[in-house]
Amino acid sequence: MTIVSVVLIAASPQFAVAGLNPVSGANAGAGATAGAASAAIDATLEPQQIALGESARLTILSSGNGTLKVPLPVVAGLEFRVVGESRRFQMINGAAIATTATIVRVTPDVAGVFTIPGITPKSPPLVLRVTPGNGRTGVSPDDELPGRTGLIPGKTDANGIRLTPDGSAFVRLSTPKHEIYVGESIPVEIQVGMRDGFAVSVNGLPKLNSGDFTLNNLSRQPERVEKAIDGKPFTVITWRSLLSAIKPGAYSLTFEAPVTVRIRTRPQRESMLDDLLGDPFMQNVFGATVQKELKVTSPEAAFTVLALPVDGRPADFGGAVGSFKVSTDVSSATTAAGDPLTLRMHVNGTGNFDRVATTMLGSDGDWKTYEPKSSFNTTDPTQYRGEKIFEQPLIATHPGAQTIPAIPFSYFDPGTRRYETARTAPLTVAVSPSAADSAAVAPPPAAGSSGTPVDATHGGLRPDHAATDAAVDTLVPLYLQPRFVGLSSALALLFAGGWVALRRRERGTTDARTRAAAQMTETFLAQMAGASAAGDTLQFFNTARSAIQHVLGARLQIAPEEITAADVHPGLGDDSDDLRQLFALADEANYAGRSLQPPDFERWTQIVRRRLTREIAS
Amino acid sequence: MTCRAPTLALTLALALALGAGTFAAAQPATPAPPTQPTQPPQPQQRQQPPSYSAAALYNLGNADARAGKPGAAVLNYERARLLDPNDPDLEANLRQVREAAGLAPESRGRFDRFATFAAPRILAWIGLLGFLIAGASLLARQLYPGHRHKLAASAVAGILAVVATLCNAIALWPTLHEAVVVAHSAPVQVAPVLDEEPSFVLPEAETVRVNAVHDGFVLVQTRSGRAGWVPEANLALVVPKH
Repeated sequence: MTIVSVVLIAASPQFAVAGLNPVSGANAGAGATAGAASAAIDATLEPQQIALGESARLTILSSGNGTLKVPLPVVAGLEFRVVGESRRFQMINGAAIATTATIVRVTPDVAGVFTIPGITPKSPPLVLRVTPGNGRTGVSPDDELPGRTGLIPGKTDANGIRLTPDGSAFVRLSTPKHEIYVGESIPVEIQVGMRDGFAVSVNGLPKLNSGDFTLNNLSRQPERVEKAIDGKPFTVITWRSLLSAIKPGAYSLTFEAPVTVRIRTRPQRESMLDDLLGDPFMQNVFGATVQKELKVTSPEAAFTVLALPVDGRPADFGGAVGSFKVSTDVSSATTAAGDPLTLRMHVNGTGNFDRVATTMLGSDGDWKTYEPKSSFNTTDPTQYRGEKIFEQPLIATHPGAQTIPAIPFSYFDPGTRRYETARTAPLTVAVSPSAADSAAVAPPPAAGSSGTPVDATHGGLRPDHAATDAAVDTLVPLYLQPRFVGLSSALALLFAGGWVALRRRERGTTDARTRAAAQMTETFLAQMAGASAAGDTLQFFNTARSAIQHVLGARLQIAPEEITAADVHPGLGDDSDDLRQLFALADEANYAGRSLQPPDFERWTQIVRRRLTREIAS
Repeated sequence: MTCRAPTLALTLALALALGAGTFAAAQPATPAPPTQPTQPPQPQQRQQPPSYSAAALYNLGNADARAGKPGAAVLNYERARLLDPNDPDLEANLRQVREAAGLAPESRGRFDRFATFAAPRILAWIGLLGFLIAGASLLARQLYPGHRHKLAASAVAGILAVVATLCNAIALWPTLHEAVVVAHSAPVQVAPVLDEEPSFVLPEAETVRVNAVHDGFVLVQTRSGRAGWVPEANLALVVPKH
């Protein structure tokens, strides 16, 4: 089977093929036409819900070998306009099958629910819902800020919107006021609008083009809505943030955002296609645009930044600017002397919470206080509105009814343009004597396993301890701390060094002994050789015996001259018999004058040499 | 010359040990304020390292228990137990808080009880002293062979002291890698990603073993063996990392 496809696109009457009958007016009646009888018709409507001012797309698909005349539907309140047609030919086994898609723009005049009758008697009806505002996002008609007054690209309208020259995108800054104080944070909205079909994407966060302001807490998840602006559909992405001024003066700022847009490739006046197809979707379909990255800038917004007044500034003013209310509560209205309480101070309202700080209660005779810690609770992503809670541990030092005094909090209110000092209400806490004090006057309470009294006033918890033990700066056990490990390693190195030194000393001693023994051996052997050469039997055996006495004396830890034949026992080696005979021959030579022949000298020399060598080696 | 080297090593070792002991004794003995260890680092506090004492942590645990914060109470009790493992009051209060939070009671085995018969700080010095004695005895054994039996006994005693310290380290090692659930409940996920359905939930005051940390999530394992990722903010390490 062979399939060959050919697609022809008709975008205007001039480019129409296969009998397209374009309509240029409203409800022109005649729709897409086709001839012949064997054609199937299908129609789809997208989207099925739109806002007033937007358009839906009706696609009429007819397929078959012939052509069929399809009349456009007529519905009161809806305008049907053919904006294009495409045709596809498929060659299947030599037979040509044509598919024709006719695209009709449907624009409502009023809001409501419209039923579009079926294109053919067998086709089901289509339903189009038109909301007054933006039906998909629930935006009210008030959101159509520029309305139908006509928004001119490149010029700023009264609502602060300035479209790019091609009308594809805008960046808009929305602020509640333009006169602010140094340090004051005001919530701002940065909107990036992208015309559907023209603008493709926003490629980054909006950027503040001014060094005189700071932008804080830019929302991570921007809000995305679709709006009709000047009758054209826009997708508007909104970031919320806090804007603060750094120094007093008159300044202006702009925001810019990187956006990818589709740019027309041909001048509009030269393109009949563009004249006919004002709809960007159709322009994209017909390849009349290319993508390009642009930086879209908002119109300049002018601000007057005022300095905070010096007159009337409270001593405890810490830079908080906004509108705040304060209150306090305590973890328990009753406690025992020495037991910690938690005093909480709530600061809620709107303003620059990052500058909201307080030292809370200072230590006095009745209360021992510690450094407060703070936390911030808010559902506002910009953190402009919320509640900051300070928690301060307190310990009552005396029993009785103790009062936690009022705590002041000073801030500058830009609404009243003056400093305000809010005060919390004093709190009263009933403080009972401590467990230690009670023990002196009360009978001993129930004892735990260790004999420590049980604190019955606090759910059976055993009482607090006197904090007199030494403090450490880490919970890591001492033996795992680097300093300690270093110390242990140094000790190990020292011991290793000492052991090595000892071994070297022992080796040196052994070497000296070996050298002395070797020297002695050579001396003895030399003397024996001399006696042998001279035939002096007496000298030979005396020297041989003396040599053996020296090595055995060193081995047996006995003086050499005390070694006799009786000390040469079999355990000293396999030549012990020879050695005993040597001792006997020496005695015989001394006392009987026995003489030896040269071969005997040689044999005994070998015996003595072997023994001496063995003893030195061991 | 060579005869002097071992003697010099022994002298230096003694000097090092004595110097370290003197340094340790000179550490500040000021008790820490009871709330300092669990406070977040305030800007003005960053210059001073936190300080911990067993009594202050115990008192802080009591305060948290009374304030209805079992997670923080167990955390501070566990920290106090690292410094003073044999405080019966601490054990009793920890047991009570865990029971009140609906958690199973802890049971310490014989080895744990033996290995923690003294505070780690004391055992550290005992171990160092044992190491010193063992090393010196072994060296002296080479120098004075006539006393080798006495010196061998001394070396064995030193080695036993080192073993006691090692046992303490082995017993405490798991605790050094544990964390306590301080949030009201901690959802446990299969993967460390946001918006994932939890596979189970850890109750407050539960003690878990920390196996890994990744991108704001902690891979934990419960004592029953279940494992998963928990948001880091829901946990507090028993031994905080500075």
